[in-house]
Amino acid sequence: MIGLRASAARRIALISFCAYAVAMLLVAGAVYLATHAAFSRQINLSVEHASAALMAEYRDDGLAGLSRAVAMQHSPGPISLGTAVFAADGRHLAGNLATAAPAPGWHRITFLDPLEGPDTARAKVTLLPGGERLVVAADLEDLQAIDRAILGIFAGAMLVLLGIGVGGALVLARYLRTKLAVIEDTASAIVAGDFARRAPVGHNGDEFDRVAASLNAMLDQITSLIANLRQVSADLAHDLRTPLTGLRNHLERMAAHGGEQVAMALARTDEVLELFEAILRISEVEEGSLRRAFTRLDLAALLGELSETLDLLAEDAGKRLETRWQPGLMVLGDRQLLAQVLINLAENAMRHTPPGAAIEISVLEREGHVVLQVRDNGPGIPEADRARVLRRFVRLESSRSTPGHGLGLSLVAAIADAHGAALTLGDAGPGLIVTLTFPRKSAS
Amino acid sequence: MRWPTPLVSPIRMNILLAEDDPDTRQFVEDALGELGHRVVATASGAQALEWARDSGADILVLDRMLPDMDGIAVLRALRGGGHGLPVLMLTALGRIEDRVDGLDAGADDYLVKPFAISELVARINALTRRTVTVDTGPCFGGIALDLRTRQVTREGRVILLQPREFRLLEELVRAGGGFLTRTMLLERVWDFHFDPQTKIVETHMSRLRSKLNEGFVEDAIETVRGMGYRVRAS
Repeated sequence: MIGLRASAARRIALISFCAYAVAMLLVAGAVYLATHAAFSRQINLSVEHASAALMAEYRDDGLAGLSRAVAMQHSPGPISLGTAVFAADGRHLAGNLATAAPAPGWHRITFLDPLEGPDTARAKVTLLPGGERLVVAADLEDLQAIDRAILGIFAGAMLVLLGIGVGGALVLARYLRTKLAVIEDTASAIVAGDFARRAPVGHNGDEFDRVAASLNAMLDQITSLIANLRQVSADLAHDLRTPLTGLRNHLERMAAHGGEQVAMALARTDEVLELFEAILRISEVEEGSLRRAFTRLDLAALLGELSETLDLLAEDAGKRLETRWQPGLMVLGDRQLLAQVLINLAENAMRHTPPGAAIEISVLEREGHVVLQVRDNGPGIPEADRARVLRRFVRLESSRSTPGHGLGLSLVAAIADAHGAALTLGDAGPGLIVTLTFPRKSAS
Repeated sequence: MRWPTPLVSPIRMNILLAEDDPDTRQFVEDALGELGHRVVATASGAQALEWARDSGADILVLDRMLPDMDGIAVLRALRGGGHGLPVLMLTALGRIEDRVDGLDAGADDYLVKPFAISELVARINALTRRTVTVDTGPCFGGIALDLRTRQVTREGRVILLQPREFRLLEELVRAGGGFLTRTMLLERVWDFHFDPQTKIVETHMSRLRSKLNEGFVEDAIETVRGMGYRVRAS
């Protein structure tokens, strides 16, 4: 389950649900208050009217007329009214309202309902000239029932809203996640090296389709820029190689007739040609068409095959080399390119370590992955420089004096990439540890 | 190491050259002519095919792309007629699949343009060299290899070699005194069809040389810059 923090979709859904809930509460409150106030006013008016009518009886016929009227009083309207007349000493003179004599004015009183027992009512008490008191009261039961009904309706609505809100939030979150996951998948595939991958664009022309279309346009642009850049460097190397080889051939013919200077010129020309060769090799590997010729091969056996050559290189360089492998570790790849990786990494380790340094090359299986590792106990590469040394022509200040054109590790990186292998440079404490982790599917 | 005077081949060869680029054609003609070979050049594939069938040439140097007839087609037509003339294919395409195409069609060797003339010469020599080896025991310059027992002797003295050194020496001895370039050795001994830009050939060669030369005055292997390595004739 993705938490709120990790899902913008859920957050949006929750916020919108909360906003609805607050709006609902405000509406419920307003309706309740307005209804309550209107009904209260209605009650007051009824009491007022009844009171006034009875007072008219009193003015016409005195206490006896009032008592008669009170005794006959029944509630004709929608609101049930109770009336009573009390003597100055509090005695109940007439009327159906079973309550004690209250003080004059508006009151909330408790009376005894013959059917339901004690009940509350809103009462107006009028002091008559003779000290008697006329009480007209409206039963509040109706008001309370209306209040309850309103609150009940809104509570029910609230429950329904809660259901719809939670459901809607989940549906919205799921919708957003599904839509965004498609774009996320595309981005991940690109990061993993599948530059041909594009986000599917729907037919609705909605925000998601527009984002996907923009993303695709951006990817097209970037891909074409990268392709251009590669093409330019490859073309440059290729086109310069032809006249340079011509130059080289002329120098060779001149060198045949002697001359140290010509020999030097020939050697320099060879260096430049080698450099172009390396650039073209990297371009070819990066371009990826070599992948079509990949076969299943035993990487451990390849290391075994090359161990004689690697041992000899180490011995020649005055380093101690140890090679270790588990037999039968298959990867999908190109034998020559992987041999190139082994040789480049070995030579790199030998070139950048002091005399007598120990170098270990291993091909082992780790968590289902075939892992090629080259570690040395030399000075290593500072963490900040590790990503940089994989770039073309980058040579660290500390290795300016060692031979090489700074393309060895770039080629390793390109070959690793073509094989879908993850290349990491780490700290062997002390020393450098270079790890190539091949994809799991090719290990089975 | 020394700089060679132009090596005039002991054997004068008749070389057919099918190449449409006039500069390359001229240069190859000159360079091979300087070495004492007779070169007949054409820009036409059909012409090259006709000559290859009738002229009794020693080798055909065939460009992969020709204006009238593709090099591969020329090669197929030639091999289809059962003709065994050695063919060295030239191409501007250096990709693995192109190389395989050429070799599948029956080319004996393959050289990617632009190339060093010395590389071309070494490969022409290697292709036209008569095989002087007995099946199990090639020998040259006092060095004898037994392919079954993997034993190596120089002037009768046994020399112990690692497997890769043995392969290296085997190629040199089989070449019978002809030069093998660094690139050719990478292809044949390590199966590297591109230059891995390492010193593995040099390192192995220096080890092989010191093993072969122990107790001898004469260096068994000759290194000539730009030409390559060869076993010195005794």
